[in-house]
Amino acid sequence: MAKVDFKQVKKSFGDKAILQGIDLEITSGEFLVLVGPSGCGKSTLLRLLAGLEELTSGDIHIEGRPVGGLPPTQRGIAMVFQNYALYPHMTVRKNMEFGLKLAKTAPAEINRRVNEATKVLGLEDQLDKKPGQLSGGQKQRVAMGRAMVREPKVFLFDEPLSNLDAQLRVRMRAEISLLHQRLKCTVVYVTHDQVEAMTLADRIAVMNLGKIEQLGTPLELYGNPETQFVATFIGTPSMNMVSTKHTAKLPVPAAATIAGFRPESITLGSESTDESVPLGEAEVALVEPLGSTNYYHLRWNHTLIVAENRDPNVKALGEKVEFGVRPKDVFYFDAGGRRVRG
Amino acid sequence: MRFKGEKALFLALVFPTLAILVAFVAYPALRSLYLSFHDVEPFSQTLSWVGLTNFKDLFSSSDFFNSLKVTFHFSLLTVLPSVVLSLGLALLLDTNPYFQNVWRTIFLLPVAISSAMAAMLWIFLFNPTAGYLNFLLDCVGLHGPNWLTDPDWALYSVALVTVWKEIGFNVIFFLAGLSAIPKDVTEAAWIDGASAWRRTLSITLPLLSPTIFFVTIVSLINSFQTFGQIHILTGGGPAGTTTTLVYQLYQDAFTNFRTGYASAQAVVLFAILLVATFLQFKAAKSRVHYG
Repeated sequence: MAKVDFKQVKKSFGDKAILQGIDLEITSGEFLVLVGPSGCGKSTLLRLLAGLEELTSGDIHIEGRPVGGLPPTQRGIAMVFQNYALYPHMTVRKNMEFGLKLAKTAPAEINRRVNEATKVLGLEDQLDKKPGQLSGGQKQRVAMGRAMVREPKVFLFDEPLSNLDAQLRVRMRAEISLLHQRLKCTVVYVTHDQVEAMTLADRIAVMNLGKIEQLGTPLELYGNPETQFVATFIGTPSMNMVSTKHTAKLPVPAAATIAGFRPESITLGSESTDESVPLGEAEVALVEPLGSTNYYHLRWNHTLIVAENRDPNVKALGEKVEFGVRPKDVFYFDAGGRRVRG
Repeated sequence: MRFKGEKALFLALVFPTLAILVAFVAYPALRSLYLSFHDVEPFSQTLSWVGLTNFKDLFSSSDFFNSLKVTFHFSLLTVLPSVVLSLGLALLLDTNPYFQNVWRTIFLLPVAISSAMAAMLWIFLFNPTAGYLNFLLDCVGLHGPNWLTDPDWALYSVALVTVWKEIGFNVIFFLAGLSAIPKDVTEAAWIDGASAWRRTLSITLPLLSPTIFFVTIVSLINSFQTFGQIHILTGGGPAGTTTTLVYQLYQDAFTNFRTGYASAQAVVLFAILLVATFLQFKAAKSRVHYG
C-alpha cells in the first residue's frame, strides 16, 4: 500500500502536449480509475507512473519518494497490460517467476508467492501451460498473478478487460474488485469504459484533452457533474442535452445555455407527477426493450432524447407521448460547458 | 455453376506460378536425377544408362571431396558471421529508430547489386598493389596479402564478399521479425526488472527465433549455392581452394561436358541440403518458439 502524488505532471511528444499539468493525490489503498475518451492522456499518465515514459516536467511521488527519474523496477509498481503482455515462450509458472528470479528472491519464497497467487486466481492446473494454450480470461488472471507475486506498492491496470467478451468482462471486473478488497493495495486503473469505472472505483478521475475534468466518487460524478463533458461521459445512456430555448417552463439560471437531464429523470404520459414539469409532446422514434426496463428514443424539437421507462406496456413506434422532467434532476451548463447552479 | 467458375479462376491464377515452377525447378531437378544415372554424349547428347557409375566415380574422386571440404568451410565462414552480424545490426537499428530507413537502405544496397557487379567492385578493392584494402593496411603499417591469389586467403576473401552481400538481406528479415514482437511484452520485462541485455536474451531472442531459424536456413542454402562471386573473383582457384561443390559441378557440366557426372553432383548437393535442413528443423524444435 502506498500513497501516490502527481505534481504538475506534464508530458509532450514533440510539439504535441499530451498532459497539461496534472495534480492528483491517490491515497493509500485506494482504487482510483482514470477514465476518458481515446487520446485524453489517461494511458500516458499511467505509463509515466510506471516509468515507461519520461516526464516532460513535474514529478511523481510514491510513498513520499520522488520516482520521476527512477527506472520502472525501482518504483515498487506492477502493471497489467491490455494485451496481457505475457511471455509467450514461457510457462505460466515461469511467467510469474521471471521478475522474482531477476530480483534474486530465494527459491522457497518464489514458490510460496507463486503458489499463493495461483490459488487465489484459480490457476493451479495451468502452471505448466504456455500462454497460447490459455483462454483470454485465464491469460488475464496470469497477468494479474505475475503482478501480484511481486507484492508491489501500487498496481497499475491499463485497460485490462477491453480484449475480453462482454460476459467475461463482467466476471473479471468482479474478480478484480474482490482482489482489491483482499489485498487492500493501491490501484490505478485506466479504462475508457465508464461502467467499469463506476463499478470498480473508490474515486474516478475523468480526463479530457490532457486534463482532469473532475475527480470524485462514482456517485459524486454521476449526481453532481461539474462540466457538460463529465455529465455526458458518466452514465449509460448518456445524459440528454437540450438548448435552454426549449425548456422555458423550467427555472433556467440566467447564464445557462444547455439543460441536461438523465434518461431516468424523464416522466412519460400518465407517469407525470406533481413534481415533474411537462416539456411537451414527442414522437417515439425507436424503442429498446431490455426486459427489466425500456429505452425510448424520442424525437422532439428536431433532436433525439432518450427516456427510460419501466412500464411493461411498451409504447409503439410513431406514438405521440407527453413527457416531463423533475426540475431538481436538471443540470444547467453555460456556453463553455461549465456547470451553472440556480 | 459458381463453384465451377471459381475453380477456373483458381486455376488461371495458379497457372503462371505453376508453369514457372515446373519449367525452371521441377523439370530440371527431375531431369538432373534422370541424367545422373546416364552417360551423356557431349555432342550428340545421346544418353546411355550407366546405373550408379557416376556416383561411384564421384565418391572415388579427390576433386569431389576437396569441393565438399571447401563448401563446408565456406559455409562456416559465411553463415555464422552473416547471421550474427546482421542480427546485431538489426538489434541496434531497432533500439534506435532514428534514421532506421536510411541505414536499412545502406545495408540493403549490396543486395540490390548483382553478384557480378559486386565481384568486379571487390576485385578493385582486393587488388594487391592498387586496391584500397592493402592501401589502408599499409597506412597502419601492415602488409596486405594477395587476397585472391594466395591459397591461404582466397576462400576468406570470397567469404568476405558473400557476407557483405548477405547482411542487408538478413537485416531486413530481422527488422521485420523484431517489429512483430509486441512492445508491451518487452515493457513487461522491463517492469519485471530485466536490464536491456536481459530483455534481449530472455525475451527478444526467443521471440525472434523463427526468424533466426529461417535466416540461418536460407543463408546455409545460399552458401551451398554460391556461384557468381567465385566465378568472377577466383574462378575456383588458386589450386582449387575456392572450388565449391557448385563450382565443381559447373566445371564438370559446362567445361568438361560430363553432364551425367555433374548431375550426380547436383543430386548429392540436394541430398546434403535436405539432410542439413532436416537436422536444423530437428535441432530447432525445442528452441524455436512459434507464436
